[in-house]
Amino acid sequence: MQSKVLTTCEFCGCGCNFYLGVEDNSLTAVYPATSHPVSQGRLCVKGWMGHDYVNSYERLKTPLIKERGKFREASWDEAYKLIADKIQQTKSQYGSDSIAVFSSAKCTNEENYLLQKFARAVIGTNNVDHCARLCHASTVLGLSQTFGSGAMTNAIGEIGKAEVIFIIGSNTSEQHPLVASQIVAAVKKGAKLVVADPREIQLAKVATLYISQKPGTDVALINGMLNVIIAEDLLDKEFISQRTEGYDELKELVAGFTPEKTSEITGIPADKIIEAARIYAKGQASTIIYSMGITQHTTGVDNVISCANLAMLTGNVGKESTGVNPLRGQNNVQGACDMGALPNVYSGYQAVTNEELRQKFEKAWGVKLPAEVGVTVTDAINKIESKDIRTIYIMGENPIISDPDSNHTEQALKSLDFLAVQDIFLTETAKLADVVLPGVSFAEKNGTFTSTERKVQRVRKAIEPVGLSRPDWKIITELAAFLGYKMEYDSPSDIMDEIAKFTPSYGGISYDRLEEGGLCWPCPSADHPGTPYLHKEQFARPGGKGKFFAVPYRAPAELPDDEYPLTLTTGRIAFHWHTGTMTRKSWTLDREYPNGYVEINNNDAAKLGIRNKAMVKVTSRRGEITLQAKAVNTIQEGLLFIPFHFAEAAANKLTANNLDPVAKIPEYKVCAVKLEGV
Amino acid sequence: MSATRIIDKKKLADFLETLSSDCEVIIPTVEDGNLLFSELGSSKLEDSFKGRPIVSPKEYLFPQKEKILAFDTTDKVNVDIKAYTNDKKRVIWGIRPCDLHGIKTLDAIYLSDFVDTYYQARRKNTIMMGLNCNEPCETCFCNSCQTGPFASEAYDVVFTDLGDKYLVKVGSDAGQEAVDKIPNLFAEATNDDEKKAGELEEKSKQSFQRKVDVDVAKQNLPESWDDALWAEESEMCILCGGCNFTCPTCHCFNIEDVQCGEKASIRMRYWDSCQLGGFTQMAAENTRENQAARLRQRIFHKYIYTPDKYDGAIGCTGCGRCIEVCPVNIDITHILGRVASK
Repeated sequence: MQSKVLTTCEFCGCGCNFYLGVEDNSLTAVYPATSHPVSQGRLCVKGWMGHDYVNSYERLKTPLIKERGKFREASWDEAYKLIADKIQQTKSQYGSDSIAVFSSAKCTNEENYLLQKFARAVIGTNNVDHCARLCHASTVLGLSQTFGSGAMTNAIGEIGKAEVIFIIGSNTSEQHPLVASQIVAAVKKGAKLVVADPREIQLAKVATLYISQKPGTDVALINGMLNVIIAEDLLDKEFISQRTEGYDELKELVAGFTPEKTSEITGIPADKIIEAARIYAKGQASTIIYSMGITQHTTGVDNVISCANLAMLTGNVGKESTGVNPLRGQNNVQGACDMGALPNVYSGYQAVTNEELRQKFEKAWGVKLPAEVGVTVTDAINKIESKDIRTIYIMGENPIISDPDSNHTEQALKSLDFLAVQDIFLTETAKLADVVLPGVSFAEKNGTFTSTERKVQRVRKAIEPVGLSRPDWKIITELAAFLGYKMEYDSPSDIMDEIAKFTPSYGGISYDRLEEGGLCWPCPSADHPGTPYLHKEQFARPGGKGKFFAVPYRAPAELPDDEYPLTLTTGRIAFHWHTGTMTRKSWTLDREYPNGYVEINNNDAAKLGIRNKAMVKVTSRRGEITLQAKAVNTIQEGLLFIPFHFAEAAANKLTANNLDPVAKIPEYKVCAVKLEGV
Repeated sequence: MSATRIIDKKKLADFLETLSSDCEVIIPTVEDGNLLFSELGSSKLEDSFKGRPIVSPKEYLFPQKEKILAFDTTDKVNVDIKAYTNDKKRVIWGIRPCDLHGIKTLDAIYLSDFVDTYYQARRKNTIMMGLNCNEPCETCFCNSCQTGPFASEAYDVVFTDLGDKYLVKVGSDAGQEAVDKIPNLFAEATNDDEKKAGELEEKSKQSFQRKVDVDVAKQNLPESWDDALWAEESEMCILCGGCNFTCPTCHCFNIEDVQCGEKASIRMRYWDSCQLGGFTQMAAENTRENQAARLRQRIFHKYIYTPDKYDGAIGCTGCGRCIEVCPVNIDITHILGRVASK
């Protein structure tokens, strides 16, 4: 007999809901939820066909301990004891801050909360971070500075009612298909769509205006648009005077970004820059949608601030169907940030450096807590060489494939004193571990994910954990016990109660309430209905005003030159998820894209004598990979695109660990490479 | 067949529970606002409901994922192979006329020149009890396809909701046998009951929001082969496959040998989608090289190839699911409208 379990999708931040059909502890079917406000009975191919990995034979079924270079099966207690001993040893010899913990945007809120608690209260370090560092660290900082809250300002359902949609640096149809669904619906109803992207993405086909900026010139483009808006008096003066500060500095700076000057930097004709500015500024409800094309730059924070400047200048924030809407990649990257799996904040973005807040958590957790901000994922890897970081505990991340400059990451992880990995597969990263603990997939545990629209939704257990694997939250509590710290919870619901107690924005969230459907934070109390859009009356910044920042244009860190004449940009495709750990084990998805490829402009391919589908070698200063060429006319000349899902042709062997100075996010979207036939 | 009968709504549960003593009974039920097929016993029988579950009942005959056989190659000479069979007896109650028709189409495909034994085993053990549609959904156009809103064939038993009771018509021996298990639950239908059902059918027919001139569309389709409309209508397709997965007559599948032991695997078959680039790759490539050709294939298959190959009936039931599940609003009625107006 089949049972059906309603749950939240484990892939992207759209937060679609569906029922999993279950028979004999296997997932055998999917049924989209028709009543869910985002899904509305619709799913992308990953939602329909992406879950075969759950029952894969390759799942880790028992803890593993490495001895003389080989893994052997171990009991849970043996594995816990070894990890606990190593953590204790590192701690007493080199101090708590020589240990780093990587949390996971694939795991639940409850697990992320527990893991940051584990880092802070059990190990005694703020060295906890996760892959948000690699995707939206710039959003969290950029929007906090300008608006006071680093999240999507409006709800997904509002996009369908927008008058103007400006997409910059988001291939929405591939990465957030159910958000693209709203955009297509809006366009069909007459909304104007402006797309700015170095690749002519699918949505460009229905755009009112498509503009193609050179990679990494987004600040210049937006400053140019701001220039036009000010010059043509299309700004919202009332909004600027009543709700913002810093306008004069902005005005002074953007005066230099005339359409002609902006055109020189971005490669977009001046008249198109003017047109884009006019379309955006003239809409009664204009919304900005962005993603990795904005954030993954050495100017990531500046790019985000620029988007915020644009919205505030025209009064397009704090109202329905407007705002600045960063689409969060992972199913729970919003939640992992909310839960404080970040080196500078506890759950709800409560700063570790704030004494009052620190004392609150010291009291709650019954231990003294470290006061200094910890290291980020990207810095932790860099600090291994200098022996500042000696031990790393990773839950559900695969940095060798996901972090920039893979060869460097791999060398670094190999030189650690001790590495423990908690995952569902023996990933490229887990293979380097001293101890591997088998966690479970989203189908084997209860919990919550927070989607890109800040909506907290239930994840429900559909099957029993495979083999001897255990729910990740359980693993953290059990490991804590081996380190002499009691974390006692009967269920994830208990953990959520603790989260709600100490996290103002989650204050009103409980499993009972979530049975009625998801809730958008801030949801401060049990009777609060949640907040679909932010900054209605005032901004979340201290003082309540939004702040303009005048940001000068800076070029990307590594530009093409004679030796490496092409620019490489990286990203995802609709059929795979990140490092492919799950999707490459899902039958349909693997069949669709079994191998990596490099997208190259037809003209460039012809110049280099490369036929479509020929094997080519792409080389950067850091490494080389061999893969198939895909010649297209939808990418700029001089630019290459490689999806980063494929370990055997890992895009991140080529990328550089050039970081945004503040957010420490790597510049995945720009590095210099050369391409040749093989 | 016997005369038309009625059953009190409150007694339907008794009827189905009796049937469930020796088989699985599947019913439509509403959970968290979602209409789903579910097993009687684990879910409640709805007093009345609108529409059809988003995934059609074809999955009870042709599951989303199905084990075909298991094999173990430990002994390389005598490979151990075991075929899976499924002869579970099942009654599905509440199948809408569009879906009854869908199963009739699948029967033609899977039980004629090439008999699919997996389908056949399930099919002969399944009793189909229909439920006529008093109120069409926003995306439905079964009236245009002549498959609904009231069923005229392809059922074992069909029910019509008269408010406090159902009108019951028997359409097969298997249906008769089921009804005869507890004859005292049923009474003879009066002329008034029949009249009321007729009125409901008329009213239902009048309330469709969509209409397609199927004959003209069919006639014009061959001419449309090179039309720009295929590229235009498919340009936003995000390749989710939902139109195929929810279609009551789509029947394409793929096969995967899935490892389940050191040397052991299970051969699975699972739903496939002709909209995907990897579908039926011959030698190296999909023979339909772009999305326009793939969308055209989906429509031509329903409206040209199926009627040509089988008994003339189109392979589209007008259930409207492909419209409802499409994330980018690719709308078969709009496409057929464009074709018909050429």
